[in-house]
Amino acid sequence: MTGQQVAIDVLLGLAVAVALGATAGVILARDNLDRLHFLTPVSVVSTVLVAAAVVAREALDARGLKALMVAAAFLGVGPVLNQATARALRVRERGDWRLGDEERERR
Amino acid sequence: MTGWLVAAAVVLVALLATGLFVSRGPVADRLVGLELGGVLSTLALVLLAEGFNRDIYFDLAVVLAAVTFTSSLVFVRFLERWL
Repeated sequence: MTGQQVAIDVLLGLAVAVALGATAGVILARDNLDRLHFLTPVSVVSTVLVAAAVVAREALDARGLKALMVAAAFLGVGPVLNQATARALRVRERGDWRLGDEERERR
Repeated sequence: MTGWLVAAAVVLVALLATGLFVSRGPVADRLVGLELGGVLSTLALVLLAEGFNRDIYFDLAVVLAAVTFTSSLVFVRFLERWL
């Protein structure tokens, strides 16, 4: 087994472990704002690790570039989507995303 | 079976668990599950593309990554206003 193959296997193992952990976190978390925190590792870490594994095997050919495009897409839009979802959940729950009077008093 | 296909199988199991999670519960829970499912299915496509040595699956993964973002934003908007 070459060093390159070992590196690919390690990257894939880490990516899958992060994806499994994030899935378990989403399923087991108490509420939706907690669940959103578990979305970030899978969209930021796992995709980058898988793209790194593809690049380690294929170098920067068409496949490597497409894998990097997927990782870049999730890196860019993941936080935006998380923020939009959190905002929607809060508006749905309280009618407005801003702090209410009682929350402001508690601070 | 290569490491790529093993990794794809594990991600597909996680996707199945997410599918079960999305199939029940309140609509807000389902939305978060849907977002996770979009990322997992894209990851699975990339892993399957490399495992089966098929270039076309990479194109599918790129398109799915873009469509996942757009569709999730639409669902978020609907959830915020109407659902």
